[in-house]
Amino acid sequence: MKQSALLLTDSDFVPVGAALSAIRGFQDLGEDDLLVITRALQLTGQLPFEPASLSVIVFASKSLELPGEQWFEDVIRVLKPGERSSYRLFSSSRSWRQDIYAFLQPSSALERKLLFAGFLEVHLIDMKSVLQPEDTTLLLTMKAKKASWVVGSSFSLKKRVLPKIQIEDELDLIDEDSLLTEEDLKKPELPPVGDCEVGSTRKACKNCTCGRAEEEQKVQKLALTSELLDNPKSACGSCGLGDAFRCGTCPYRGLPPFQLGKREVLLSQYLKKKCRLPSVQVSLSGSFLAADI
Amino acid sequence: MGLERSRRLLVLYGSQTGTAQDAADRVGREAVRRGCPSVDVLSVDEFDARLLPSEDVVIFVVSTTGQGDMPDSMKEFWKFLLQKNISDQWLEHVHYAVFGLGDSAYQKYNFAAKKLDRRLLNIGGKPLVQKGLGDDQHRSGYEGAFDLWLSSLWNALHEKDPMLLPRSIDNLDASTQCLDSPKFEVIFHSINEMVATGTSTLSDLNCAKNLIGKVRSMSLGKSHYKRPQYLLQLITNQQLIKSDADADVRHLEFESSSSDLRYQVGDVLEVLPAQDPDAVEAFIRRANLDPDCYITVRPKVIGKHHDSSADMSTPPVKLRTFVELAMDVASASPRRYFFEVMSFFASAEHEKEKLQYFASPEGRDDLFQYNQKERRTVLEVLEDFPSVQLPFEWLVQLAPPLRTRAFSISSSPLAHPDQVHLTVKALTWTTPFKRKRSGLCSNWLAGVVPRKGVPIPAWIHGGCLAAPPPSEPLILVGPGTGCAPFRGFVEERAAQKAEGAAVAPILFFFGCRNQEKDFLYRDFWVSHAQDGGVLAAGSGGGFFAAFSRDQVHKVYVQHKMKEERKRVWRLLSGGAAVYIAGSSAKMPADVVTALEEIVAEEAGLDSEAAGRWLRRQRAGGIFIEAWS
Repeated sequence: MKQSALLLTDSDFVPVGAALSAIRGFQDLGEDDLLVITRALQLTGQLPFEPASLSVIVFASKSLELPGEQWFEDVIRVLKPGERSSYRLFSSSRSWRQDIYAFLQPSSALERKLLFAGFLEVHLIDMKSVLQPEDTTLLLTMKAKKASWVVGSSFSLKKRVLPKIQIEDELDLIDEDSLLTEEDLKKPELPPVGDCEVGSTRKACKNCTCGRAEEEQKVQKLALTSELLDNPKSACGSCGLGDAFRCGTCPYRGLPPFQLGKREVLLSQYLKKKCRLPSVQVSLSGSFLAADI
Repeated sequence: MGLERSRRLLVLYGSQTGTAQDAADRVGREAVRRGCPSVDVLSVDEFDARLLPSEDVVIFVVSTTGQGDMPDSMKEFWKFLLQKNISDQWLEHVHYAVFGLGDSAYQKYNFAAKKLDRRLLNIGGKPLVQKGLGDDQHRSGYEGAFDLWLSSLWNALHEKDPMLLPRSIDNLDASTQCLDSPKFEVIFHSINEMVATGTSTLSDLNCAKNLIGKVRSMSLGKSHYKRPQYLLQLITNQQLIKSDADADVRHLEFESSSSDLRYQVGDVLEVLPAQDPDAVEAFIRRANLDPDCYITVRPKVIGKHHDSSADMSTPPVKLRTFVELAMDVASASPRRYFFEVMSFFASAEHEKEKLQYFASPEGRDDLFQYNQKERRTVLEVLEDFPSVQLPFEWLVQLAPPLRTRAFSISSSPLAHPDQVHLTVKALTWTTPFKRKRSGLCSNWLAGVVPRKGVPIPAWIHGGCLAAPPPSEPLILVGPGTGCAPFRGFVEERAAQKAEGAAVAPILFFFGCRNQEKDFLYRDFWVSHAQDGGVLAAGSGGGFFAAFSRDQVHKVYVQHKMKEERKRVWRLLSGGAAVYIAGSSAKMPADVVTALEEIVAEEAGLDSEAAGRWLRRQRAGGIFIEAWS
C-alpha cells in the first residue's frame, strides 16, 4: 500500500512549501504522498479515509482551543498501527512565552486527550525551528504513536523480577559521575578550624572596661564567680543585655539576659527546666541544624 | 524574525531542609534591590525542565544531601538533564550560574552543585561566573562563600545584561535601605464571626487530620508535610539502655487510631513534633497577641486581585493552633534575614545598631557565632532584643517552619500487624557557649506517656533501604541506632520462615560502646542467632557485635567485618545485598572501604577492581541510610 501522509490545519489555506516542511522529519515521504485538509476542525462526520490507511498525520493549529475527544479518536482510527501522529501549535502572537504558559495547562489536557484516545508514547517536543511565515512561531509539538498491536493480539508474560532501587535500567541517561573532574574528587580541604571557644572576631564593647580592648591577642576568659552570679554587675553595661551584646570574654556568656542587681525569671527559663538529661560533651560542627546533607 | 525571549531572572533552588531556599530567596531580594525588572524564585520541582532553553538567565542554588546526592525535590529534574539525547547546544541561549551548599567534612563535598554546573556547561549553557561552593565548615557557614559569589554574580550580570540588572552595587548604607513587603497577610477575626463548632474535637480523626492539613497549608510550601496520613497513639515507651549511660535511647511502639497502617520494612516514619505549650504561649505574648483569637493566614498576592473563594475553604483557626502547628518557636534557628527585618522594628538604638550589624557582611561571622552555632531559637532572639515589635505577618514569614522529623521504622508489619515501632535517641548536646540544647522531637517523644496525650501526626514513606525479598542473602551493618531498621528486617524474615518460606541467611554487624550499657535489643539479636534462627551462624549468617570502649583499643563494626571476612565473602559472592544504616557521617564510607578490602583479599583483585565489582554487583546492591 502506498504510504501516505495527511496534514490537517485549521487555517483557510497553506502554501505547498509550508505543507511539505510540516511533514518533514518523517521518513520516506515524497510530494505525491501528501494530502492536505484545510479548515479541518469544521469537518463534520468522520475523516474520509479507510481505517488504518495513513502513515503520518500532522495537525497544525493556530488556535489554543483543543478539538474534542471524538476528533482524536477519529485520527487514531485512520492511522496505521505503529505509526506516528504529530500535533503542532503555531502562534501568531508576539509574546509567545506568555502563550506557552497559557498553553502548558492545555498541553497536559492535550496529553490526556491523546492518551484517552488510545495513543502511546505521548511526548512534548521542544523545537526551535520556525516553519511558518514570519509572523508566527512554532510553539510546541506533541508526538504520539498508535499502538503497534491491534485488538486480539497476544503475547506471553515473562517471569517478573522483583524491582530494586539500585538497578540502573535507564541506559539512556549519561553516567553522572563522569561529570566530576580529578579536582572535584580530591578530598576537600577543611577550612581553618573555626573557634568554638572565644571568638577572635568578637568586637570589644564600645566602652570596654573588662580589658578586652587592650588585649586583643590573648584569650582571657574572666571567671564567673558565685558572687558575680548572685549580684550581677557589669562595668560596660552590656553584660546584662544578653549574648548578642556581650563581648568574647564576658563571664556571663551563655546566660540569658538579666537586670543588673537582681536575677529575674526569664522567658526562656523553661528551657532549663526541660533539660533533665546530663549534658553530653559532643563536638559538633555548627552545621548540626543547617546541614543540607 | 525575533523570538521574543523571556526577560526575567529565574532563580531555581534544590533544597532539602530549607537552607538552599533561604539562600535563593536572598538572591531574589538582592536582584530586586538592584533594579531587576522581573525575578522569579522557584523550587526546581515547580519548574518544567523542558522550558529551560526559553529562559534568559537562570541561577541555581542547590544543596548536596545524603551521600553526595541531589535533594529529593531535584531528582526528577536532574534525571531529565542527564538524558543522553540532549544536544550540546540545547541551552545555547541561556546564561546560568550555580551556587552549592555543602559540607567539606564529607568526601562528596558539594557533588550536586559540581555535577550540575558541569552538565549545564556540557549542554550549551553559558556560565556567568564560576560556581560558588558554600561550606558548613566555614566559620560563617555557607554565607562565607555566598557573599563574595553574589557580588561577582551581580557584576557579571550587570555587564552582560544591564537591562536585567541595572545596578551592580546595592546601596549598602543600612540607613537608606527600605523594608520589603511581607509575603503573607494575616486576617484577625472578631469572636462574633466565629461559630462555636469552629474548633474541632480530636475525637473525630478525619476532622483533626484536615485541620492540621489546612493550618499548615496556610503558610507552608510544597516541600512540607501538611495533612497527616496517620494519627498515631503511643502504646509503649521503653528505655533501652541503662540510665547511667550518657544517652537515652527509647523503644517506642505506636498504633494508628484508625487501624490502617500500611508499610514495609525499611520505610521511614515522619513525625510532626508537638511544641512546649509554655514556649508557644510565651512567644504569642511576646508578639503582643491573644492566643485565643482567630486568624487566617494566606500568601499575599501582589498585583492580582485575591481569589476570595479561597477564604471559604480554610476556616479561621486559633492563633495558638497556628503557631503550634506551623511555626517553630523554640527549636530551629532563624536566618540572617530575620535579623535584617528586625532592625526595622527595633525602637532601642543599641538594638537597632546591633541588628543592622548582624545583617551586614561585616557582622556575618559574629552572627554565625551568636545564632547558628548556638542554635539560638526565635524565642531567645526575641528575648535578647526586647524593644523589637515584629508584626505577626513578618513572624509568620521569618520564623522557621515547624518541620517533621524522620525515623527509620524498626518493626515488621508481619510480626506486628497494626503497629509501627521506632528506636529513638533523645538528643542533647552543649553549645560553644556551654548552653544545654536538646532535640525537639526526640526529647518530646521520649517524654510521651503511653496511651495518654494527643494523637501524633505522622506519615510513612519509603527510604533508602528497599525491602529485600526473603530469598536474598543479606549483610546488614547497623551500629547504635542504625540497628533500628534491621530489627524490622530480622523480624520479617523470621516471620516469613515461620510461614514456611525459603529464606536466605542474614549476617548482621552491630556496634556500640559497652556491652553492658548500650547493647540495644540484645536479647532480640541473641535469640535470633540461636540455631535455626535467621541470624544463625550455622546457616551461613551470623550476628557479631563490636564494643568500641570495652577494651583499650577501639573496635568498630568494620573491624568485626574484617575478622569475619570469609563469611562476608561467601555471602557477597553468593549475591548478597548490603545494607548500612546509622547516625554517623563517616561510618558508611568506612564500611564500604572495609568491604572493598575484603573483596580484594578474598577474590585476589586490586582495590580498584574490587571497588568496581562491589558497585556493579547486580543481584545485590548497596543500600545506605545515614542520618545526622
